[in-house]
Formats: sequence, structure tokens, C-alpha cells
Amino acid sequence: MHLGNRTILERIFLFIFVIIFIIWTFFPIYWMISTSIKPTLNIFDLPPKFYPKNPTYEHYVNLQKGSARITIFFMNSVITSTSTVVLSLAVAFPAAYALSRLRFRFRKIISIGVLSIEMFPLVVMLIPLYLLYKKLHLLNTYQGIILAFTSFTLPFSIWMLRGFIDSVPKEIEESAHIDGCSRLQIITRIVFPLTVPGIAATCIYTFLDSWNNLLFPMMLTNKPSMKTLPPGMVLAYVGQYKHDWGGMMAASVIVSIPVVLAFVLVQRYFIEGLTRGALKG
Amino acid sequence: MEVLETRKKNKRRWRYASASSGRMAFGLLLPTFILVGFIVIYPLIAAVRLSFLNYKLTEPGEIHFIFVRNYLNMITDRIFWIAIKNTLLFTFCTVSIGFLLGLFMALVIKELQTKYRSLRALFLIPWVIAGVVIGYLFMYMLDVEIGILNYILKKMGIIESFLPWLMRADLAMAAIIVTHVWNQAPFFMIMLTAGLMAIPEEAREAAYLEGANRFQEFRFITIAYLTNVILISTLLMIIRNFNYFPIIYTMTGGGPGYATTTMVLHIFTTAFEKFNMGSASAIGTTWLFILICLSMLYTRMMKESF
Repeated sequence: MHLGNRTILERIFLFIFVIIFIIWTFFPIYWMISTSIKPTLNIFDLPPKFYPKNPTYEHYVNLQKGSARITIFFMNSVITSTSTVVLSLAVAFPAAYALSRLRFRFRKIISIGVLSIEMFPLVVMLIPLYLLYKKLHLLNTYQGIILAFTSFTLPFSIWMLRGFIDSVPKEIEESAHIDGCSRLQIITRIVFPLTVPGIAATCIYTFLDSWNNLLFPMMLTNKPSMKTLPPGMVLAYVGQYKHDWGGMMAASVIVSIPVVLAFVLVQRYFIEGLTRGALKG
Repeated sequence: MEVLETRKKNKRRWRYASASSGRMAFGLLLPTFILVGFIVIYPLIAAVRLSFLNYKLTEPGEIHFIFVRNYLNMITDRIFWIAIKNTLLFTFCTVSIGFLLGLFMALVIKELQTKYRSLRALFLIPWVIAGVVIGYLFMYMLDVEIGILNYILKKMGIIESFLPWLMRADLAMAAIIVTHVWNQAPFFMIMLTAGLMAIPEEAREAAYLEGANRFQEFRFITIAYLTNVILISTLLMIIRNFNYFPIIYTMTGGGPGYATTTMVLHIFTTAFEKFNMGSASAIGTTWLFILICLSMLYTRMMKESF
């Protein structure tokens, strides 16, 4: 069943469907970018212009004006997301190794428990967490956001890393052990370097999850200067600014660029990590 | 001979070391336990406790035990049932349409020549973009005055006048579902493509040799091989959609009226707009119970990977 022995009709259908999928998937993204560089007047044109005639950077420049500056949100997002990636990896890697390689009591229950956390609705945890943070003065702090992000990305990180560690042949560890390596040396010098692609994919997943998270930073911070990009956008485009489409789309582009770049960079491993569990099951 | 003997012995010793590694495992898992205990388990227990209290942020002096009154209020509240109905409708439509579209995309993309196949990763981009961004983007495209969708549909003669998609109760849910399908169909596509790739070519060829037509091959071979991927990705997406928040929050905020108020939005509004933490926790606890049942189903399916 390869393309070679297809009829002309089949080829035409295939072509049409691919074109439809491309439009369906990429037109909204194109529209977002295109609106972000249209002069405000042209955005309200009817019929709409399908491409920006007089491209302008005004919307991007305007994002820096007023009290809700995008660079502040952007920096907050960078700080909290990258810290989450580092902390999450430091916590998840040893846990994943233990669940993958060591045999101990309650291993299975812990594995299942870890995966179940993924399913808990953030919003239910948020109520007591908000009250707890208030008591511990963690509201409006990076630590508070990072801790919340980490706990909720941790389960999937552990599970994804575990899959990658599982695929390292046990024999390599065995021979390292025979050569006199301690368990810690085996983990840091053998398993860690061998799973670098998996680690990259997991880090990207953690990054996406924290970068895109709205609920936690929205509720656990109330100072605009502490908000990350998603709650920052919500803050910036309420009420009278609801129809500042140009600005809104420019902000959207800025929020999306880092995640799309990060994803494209490691997409192969990312997809592998994502699909592995379902294929094996 | 002697070398072999020693290797065997060492191997045995390694196995032995693995068998007695409970303490080491505990050490490696300790950071996870601490974090999860602090941010997940404690709030979980606290939420159950709160659900039995009259805890309103607006009346800090009035906090006291009221047994199941929060639960009684919950089931007598019309909005609770609307939220259940909306959540089920929203999740069912999003997952089924997303799945069918994803399957269709996977089948078409699989037929492409190998050199184009690697581009399929780009189709996953809608899935990595932030919910807030997707919400605003579709809110803009569905706008009643300048929305591009209204313009295109009118030009094609499908609608007579511009429709206020997000402001009419009967259209808002459809708009929300389409937006989520855009976001989630790629996930199904990727999962199913991986599943399709894993089908041995011999199995399909054998079916053709036996005289099966293309539909029969699809029905009996492809679907059979895909069952597990389908079950796992569908269940995962059902749970995700049960909890999904950002797109609905930015597009409609649960409105107009309560037309798009799902469970998560109902809990959110009760807690952070009405400041009734007790009531919100009661709804949350109930919701959590339903989700735990579902996630047990999910982990049961995943048990092969443990």
C-alpha cells in the first residue's frame, strides 16, 4: 500500500485532505501572527485583509507601555519555568530510577499513586493550597509558584523518565557493577548520560506545562509584578482592553514562541516519550 | 572457566543487591514524597476537611463545623447539575470529535511519502500552545464584528448574518468544543500515528492475501492493533477535559448565563468569586471522587508499563 500503486483519484483525495489539515492546523496560527503586525485600523477592516499590507511593530512596542509590562511577566515566566525544570529533574530522576530499577515493597502502589496525581483537578487543591500559602507567606513568591508547578509536573516527569531508563539495557549496569562502580556512580556516570535525549524531552514537557499554566500563578499571586505570562495576559486584556486584538495577538505570539521553539528542538524524543507508555501497554 | 564462574557470582551478587534495595529506593523517592505530600496530599486532606466547614473568606469569624450541609446545598443547587451536564457534554464532544479527526489525520498522514512524514510533528503545535493564547485567539476569530469565521461562513453562504458565537447560549458550547478540538486532535493524531507505525506490515499483507478488502483490513487488523492506544489516549483525554480550565475561562468565563459552566469553572467561581471555600471544597471533593474512580480505570490499563 504505497503511493506508487495508487490511482489518480486516490492521490487527489489524499492531496485535498492534506491541504485541509494544513489549513485547519496552521491558519489560526497564521492569523495570530498576521494580526499582530497589522496596523490597528486594518484589523477592523471589512472585508478582512488576509495578509498584512503595511506591517508594523506598534503592538509589540505597546506591550511595554503602562503598568502591565510584558517583559516583567516574561521574566517571571522564565524564572519560574526554568527553576521548575531544574527542580523537577533533580527530584524526578532519582525517583524514576528507583521505580525502574530497584525492587522494593510498595513499588507498584507508589507507581500507580504517582500517576494518579496527574488526574487530580488543580482547582480542588488550589483552595487549601491558597489558604496554606497565605499562612506560610508563600503567596506572591517565586518559591511558592515553583513548588506548585513542580509538584504537578512531577508525576508525568517521573513516568516519562522511567520509560527512558527502562530502555537502558540492564547488562550495562551489571558490567559497571562488576567493574566496581557504586550505585551512585552507575546512576550519575552511566544511566544519566545514556538517557540524555529522554531527559531533554522530559525537561521540555515540564517547561511547557509550567510556562502554559494559568490557574496556579493566577491565584497564588495577586501582585501584577509577580504574575507569569498567562495570568499576565488575563490581567492585561480584561474590560476596556478586551478588543485590543493587535496587542492581544502580539502578546500571544510572544507567549507561544518559546514553547514552539523548545518543542521543535526535541520533537522526536518528545513524541517518543509521549507515546511510549501507550504503545507498551 | 574460572572467569565465567566469577562473572556468574558477580551477577548473582548484583541481583542480590537489587533485591535488598528498599532503603536506597526510599532515599531516592524521599524528595518526591516530601513535595507531593506538601503540595498534593496535604491539600487533598484539607479539602475534604474544609468541605464540612462553613468557611467563607468574607466571614472569617464564622468558621465552624456544619457536617454535610455543604453537600446538601450542592445537590440542591441548580448550577451544580448544569455544570455536570455541561462537563459531560463538553468532554464527550471534544474527545469523540478530537479522536475521529485525529484518527483521520493519522491515516492520511501515514499514506504520505516517508520524506514528508517527519513534518507530522509540526501538526502537534496547536497542542503545545498555552490555553490562554488559544482562548484569546479563537475569541478573536469568532468575534461577532470582525471575526474571520463569520466572514468566511457568510461569504460561503452558510450563514446569512454574522453570529455572536460566544454570546449566544446555544452557540457558545459549540464554539468552545471546536476550539478544544483544534487544540487536542493533534494529540490523538500523534498517539495514533505511533500506534499505526507499530502494526507489522505482515499482518496487513496477510489480511489482503486472505482476500480482505481495504475496509475489512482496517476493521479487523488496524483497529485491533490500535485498541490499547485508543483506550489509553481517550481515557487520558477524558480526564484532562474533566479538569480543563484556561480556554473556557478566557473565552466565555462559563457564560453566557451558565451555558459553558463546567465543573472546574463552577468550583473556581464558588471559591474565588463567591469566596465560599467550604462549599467549593464540597463540590471539589465530590468531583475528586469521580476522577479518582476514572484514574483507577486508567492506571489499570497502564499497569503493563509498571
